[in-house]
Amino acid sequence: MAEAEEPGLSDQYPTASPWPLFVALGLTLSEIGVFIGLFPVAVFGLILFGGSVAGILTESGYAERPWPTLLGVGAVLTVLAAALALWQIPLADIALSNVGEGPLLTRLVAVAVAGLVMAAMGSVASLLEQTAA
Amino acid sequence: MVAGDIVLTGLMAVLLVGIAALLTRIENWRSYTPLAGGGTATGETVVHREKPAGIIRWLTTVDHKDIGLLYGLYAIIAFAVGGIMAFLIRVQLVTPAGAILSNNAYNSILTSHGITMLFLFGTPIIAAFANYFIPLLIGADDMAFPRINAIAFWVLPPAALLIWAGFFLAPVTDNMIEPARTAWTMYTPLSVEQTNPGVDLMLLGLHLSGVGATMGAINFIATIFTERDGDVDWANLDIFSWTMLTQSALILFAFPLLGSALVMLLMDRNLQTTFFAVEGGGPLLWQHLFWFFGHPEVYILVLPPMGLVSLILPKFSGRKLFGFKFVVYSTLAIGVLSFGVWAHHMFSTGMDPRLRASFMAVSLAIAIPSAVKTFNWITTMWNGRLRLTTPMLFCIGFVSNFIIGGVTGVFLAAVPVDLILHDTYYVVGHFHYIVMGAIGFAAFAGIYYWFPVFTGRMYQRTLGKAHFWLSMVGTNLTFFAMLALGYLGMPRRYATYQFDGAIAPLVQVTTFHQLATVGAVILLVGQLIFVWNIVQSWLEGPKVEDGDPWNLERDGMLDREFEWFDEQLEADEHERDPSLLADGGQDEQTDS
Repeated sequence: MAEAEEPGLSDQYPTASPWPLFVALGLTLSEIGVFIGLFPVAVFGLILFGGSVAGILTESGYAERPWPTLLGVGAVLTVLAAALALWQIPLADIALSNVGEGPLLTRLVAVAVAGLVMAAMGSVASLLEQTAA
Repeated sequence: MVAGDIVLTGLMAVLLVGIAALLTRIENWRSYTPLAGGGTATGETVVHREKPAGIIRWLTTVDHKDIGLLYGLYAIIAFAVGGIMAFLIRVQLVTPAGAILSNNAYNSILTSHGITMLFLFGTPIIAAFANYFIPLLIGADDMAFPRINAIAFWVLPPAALLIWAGFFLAPVTDNMIEPARTAWTMYTPLSVEQTNPGVDLMLLGLHLSGVGATMGAINFIATIFTERDGDVDWANLDIFSWTMLTQSALILFAFPLLGSALVMLLMDRNLQTTFFAVEGGGPLLWQHLFWFFGHPEVYILVLPPMGLVSLILPKFSGRKLFGFKFVVYSTLAIGVLSFGVWAHHMFSTGMDPRLRASFMAVSLAIAIPSAVKTFNWITTMWNGRLRLTTPMLFCIGFVSNFIIGGVTGVFLAAVPVDLILHDTYYVVGHFHYIVMGAIGFAAFAGIYYWFPVFTGRMYQRTLGKAHFWLSMVGTNLTFFAMLALGYLGMPRRYATYQFDGAIAPLVQVTTFHQLATVGAVILLVGQLIFVWNIVQSWLEGPKVEDGDPWNLERDGMLDREFEWFDEQLEADEHERDPSLLADGGQDEQTDS
């Protein structure tokens, strides 16, 4: 963590923000990962995307803290992946042992994993911050 | 496979941790906590300059002018890549058997040339002008959403890398991933059946560029509606902003549709859906969806250049734009009509003749607002005091080329003519008159006209004029030869053309192909001069001292962007001469 007294880039310069580049990179990696079916790229891309969205919303003052956004993005992705899986894949085939088998299941698991990680990060950080305060 | 996944996971983890570490280094997350009374947490921050130094400035900027320059640089690089591809195509076709490329390489380059020029040069060069100049023209401090503006730009470099990915990956993956060979229209079933993963990468790149264009469009609409200065109302809004507003509305309706169609195609390719399969929606569904985007895309690309010409041409004619109101109305009319003509790309698909007739009628109707504009440009110049500066020459070249490109388009809009000329070089000649002869020329006009504003220097006038004449001659030679090739029945997209002389007049076809290639060489020389002129003048050109380098005040036509430029020049002068600080000049120790 940076020293609290040290001003960050966006505090110092009114026309600079570190976030847009990473929002774009996160979106790119997510798309490649999910559509081409590269599990690790999908998971890390989505986490980078969700994290940067949380960061940029907080920096620009639309959100007070980044953690609820992270939790929200994570929850939405998890629910979406679960809903799509239940809708499109026979219930019997939805099993962790089948990951890597069907093209759809593997991708949805990647989305769900990214969602769960973000949700977990968001809630843990939120809790830590509240108990620290 | 498992080992590959582990390596990839490690790589991604390192990347993510690296980004997090970088962010904590340069950014103070704790300072985001809003304080009572607003402001930043570190209220006593001392700002020495507006922007950070070096590469960090360009990677983190949310300033509309910087983003405009980034868009410009990006578009020029894409123009060079697309241009070299075009040149290779022309060299290949010097002889009927093909001179330098294999058929596969030719098809890859042909596909990539189209997509590069339309999506990576055309749309971004317009965004470059709009980002830099719309806020200045309407008196706004910045775009409505500066951060979204930056995101919209930063999705473009990865989009370009994805679109070109096959070219980089083919040598290292032993041709497992090759460049796409679908042509820029990506017609099904061809595009579904090519199993090459390079096609998926290209589709993703296109999708990303569409996401960027849509974000940009939302931003322009919001900016023009809400960020105008108090004394800029709808009646005196400049013509470039009007065309950008219309274009952004078109993007808003067209690009999300392209995005959806691309996702459907990706799913057909990877997830066994049947959107475009015979047993599903059918291959023709792709053509309908693609052209419902694709035809408005033509106007997305041409309306802002028309706006540039409408803005610049009067400045060197010494007269206000003739029939300003009607130029605006015709812009809006083209915007609306552009969504009702898409099936004229599909006349020969065997669609219902009654539908065909209605699409023909609307396509012909677009000629009316287009002609309104053309006559208004000509009338603006009529009896004017013409000054043939480089930007003006490019504007006149635009009008001239637009007339040829437009009239050939009217012919193609007629069903019986189209059935003869469809899929021939006539079509290629027609749309290149518009995309190179008109859109490209307007972009050059804009670059030269505003060169003093965004560089503070003047370009070399003789080189500028050489660039114009070489471009004008090259364009007309290359693309007029293509119109003739079309009449001779030469089909488009062919890598070779060893016809039986009894079917087609091979000697004449070869001659016109060679003429087109000579034109391409002239164009190439012209563009090399352009790049040299821009780079050298930017670095070493004479500094502009006067806020009115084009002497526009004399005719009462000095727009806001040059007034802003004048203020910048004065501010710079104060900065250079500290003694001027005494009368309340620039104080470096101001807060943000």
